[in-house]
Amino acid sequence: MNILRTLTAMLREIFDEAAFARYCRREGVIADREAYARFVREPKAPKVRCC
Amino acid sequence: MRNLRPLLWIGIALLGALAVATIALHRGEQINALWLVTAAVCTYALGYRFYSKFIAAKVLALDPHRATPAERLENGRDFVPTNKWVVFGHHFAAIAGPGPLVGPVLAAQFGYLPGTLWILVGAVFGGCVQDFVILLFSVRRDGKSLTEMAKEEIGRVGGLVAYASVISILVILLAVCALIVVNALKQSPWGAFTIAMTIPIAFLMGIYLRRLRPGRVLETSAIGFVLVLAAIWGGQWVSQTPSVARYFTLSASGLAMAIIVYGFAASALPVWLLLAPRDYLSTFVKLGTIGLLALGILAMHPTMHMPPLTRFIDGTGPVFAGKIFPFAFITIACGAISGFHSLISSGTTPKLIRRETEIRLVGYGAMLCESMVAIMATVAACVLDPGTYFAINSPAGIAGALPDKAAATITGWGFPVTAGSMQTLAQNVGEITLFNRTGGAPAFAVGMAHIFSNSLGGQAVMALWYHFALMFEALFILTVLDAGTRVGRFMVQDALGHVWKPLGRTSWYPSVLSTSALIVAAWGYFLWQGVKDPLGGINSLWPLFGIANQLLAAVALCLATTIIIKMHRVKYALVTLAPLGWLVVVTFTAAWHKIFDLDPRIGFLAQARQIASAGGNARLIFNNRLDAVVTGILVVLVALLLVESVRHWIAVLSSAKRAMTTESPFIATRLVEERG
Repeated sequence: MNILRTLTAMLREIFDEAAFARYCRREGVIADREAYARFVREPKAPKVRCC
Repeated sequence: MRNLRPLLWIGIALLGALAVATIALHRGEQINALWLVTAAVCTYALGYRFYSKFIAAKVLALDPHRATPAERLENGRDFVPTNKWVVFGHHFAAIAGPGPLVGPVLAAQFGYLPGTLWILVGAVFGGCVQDFVILLFSVRRDGKSLTEMAKEEIGRVGGLVAYASVISILVILLAVCALIVVNALKQSPWGAFTIAMTIPIAFLMGIYLRRLRPGRVLETSAIGFVLVLAAIWGGQWVSQTPSVARYFTLSASGLAMAIIVYGFAASALPVWLLLAPRDYLSTFVKLGTIGLLALGILAMHPTMHMPPLTRFIDGTGPVFAGKIFPFAFITIACGAISGFHSLISSGTTPKLIRRETEIRLVGYGAMLCESMVAIMATVAACVLDPGTYFAINSPAGIAGALPDKAAATITGWGFPVTAGSMQTLAQNVGEITLFNRTGGAPAFAVGMAHIFSNSLGGQAVMALWYHFALMFEALFILTVLDAGTRVGRFMVQDALGHVWKPLGRTSWYPSVLSTSALIVAAWGYFLWQGVKDPLGGINSLWPLFGIANQLLAAVALCLATTIIIKMHRVKYALVTLAPLGWLVVVTFTAAWHKIFDLDPRIGFLAQARQIASAGGNARLIFNNRLDAVVTGILVVLVALLLVESVRHWIAVLSSAKRAMTTESPFIATRLVEERG
């Protein structure tokens, strides 16, 4: 069960779902279209993908 | 139980030694791929348990009580203390790209032995160490980037060289990535259709994420994945319907132009519309396929048909020219040691680390997993009959353009193959031909389809597996391309911002468009050069990429050695100095050969002279001279950094200069110890 929880957390982090949840918490907003649009526009360090 | 542990490790060491001896000493008999897997798993286990522990305790002195920047600077955005396994997955997803799949496939022309040994030794003593130490040094400096650390620790020259190396490697890397996609998809309507479909699928995902289910990325990626599978299925229909197939049967030049336009669009369009959904989709497919390939190899435990060493260790190989030393060591970068990883170890990962002691798992451990992917790629290439492998990977300029001629040439090298057997194989995988499909991706796809079709679905679905593998590689190569173009654009904007401020604004469209065009033009030029190269492009560009990537690793290890010396741990400096010395010897020798070797297939200048004396194309002559100049500039830059670093080391060791590091001051952690 613990492994499954960690795996889900890992996937949520890789796929930015956790980052969006943190954004909503930080800004005190609910997860809707406007919040996601603002989250996407938020300046972030570019993701480097290795060769 | 505790008393049994030494026995367990002795058992692992003996099993590993037996496996390495089996793969190294068997001659004339085919061996099972599981020997490679066993050798790798035992080597990695020993490396992690003993070597990384030694580095953690003695060299770096990881401190569980020291607060990391994720804790001290937590802002819920970039700096977030995160579970170590979550960071591990995040880091692995960022470092695993097409490199560990393509390099080992190309190096298989020497046989399976040189590549396998280099992957094992290079990873344990080089690549993992580099990723580990750079990650720690970045954590101790508030998550600073490689270029910032080089500037602060080695001086302005260090910063400048690191910056120039990163930009150069990006340009060459992107050109090589694009060339691999071109070679994989040219004259392949099925593959071209599937990859073309990923663009509207990404748009759909972007709109779905933005409008219908905001933030539900995993769900959206799963839907995207199902649509991609449907596109693979549809590709078969496209390839069998001549009236439609002709729109997707593209020449190398046509594909190159399409990719150049795509790269520009991906850099200039809003992130949410194309780049982010493509990145999610690619990561989803990547993680799934790597897991599936591992299961396939374990379930099928295929026999390796490639001999341990081939005649091409003498430097006359058709895939790329050059002797086993130094060329095997620059052909396989990711999987053994890749400088590019140091950008990720000093990028997003250090800002997520919760505790210093977890850096060992993330830095050293994730690189071991990447190395395992390279071993799996070696297996995929070497399960093919050598004749088939060389028929796929030999350029027309060397083996011959016509099937009968190419088959005769390859059979003459001692690797029997017939035009008929290649035709049957091409039909089985739904291609028009598999001759001259250089670049590594098609050979990997055939090997992977061979493994999958023998374990899941049988020969009837081989074509689907082949195109799945091809789509998977092309998809994440294109993701590297668009993410890399964007990163390159930011770097150029950052530099130009010092000249004229508005050019540095990442949201000012004239700057966005002009800098995107600049980066795309730079890699597009090298891509075009590769497409027009009579020797297939890979022969020139992959070594250039290997040299650039390994030189970046040299920059990272130079920085690491400098910091270790400044930390007064000079007696342990060999940990980074040894791989640095090896890389300097390898890359400088390879660069010397690529510039000055008298064999026109190896030396850029010799090839330029040969083309000139035959009254050949002026553009080809210029391209070869340009490649020579680029290689020379890279080597001179790194030589400058080396001299500057050695000057620092001598000054510190002779006490002529006080050892000043830019480490953040110690602050005790307030995080409670957590299990798991």
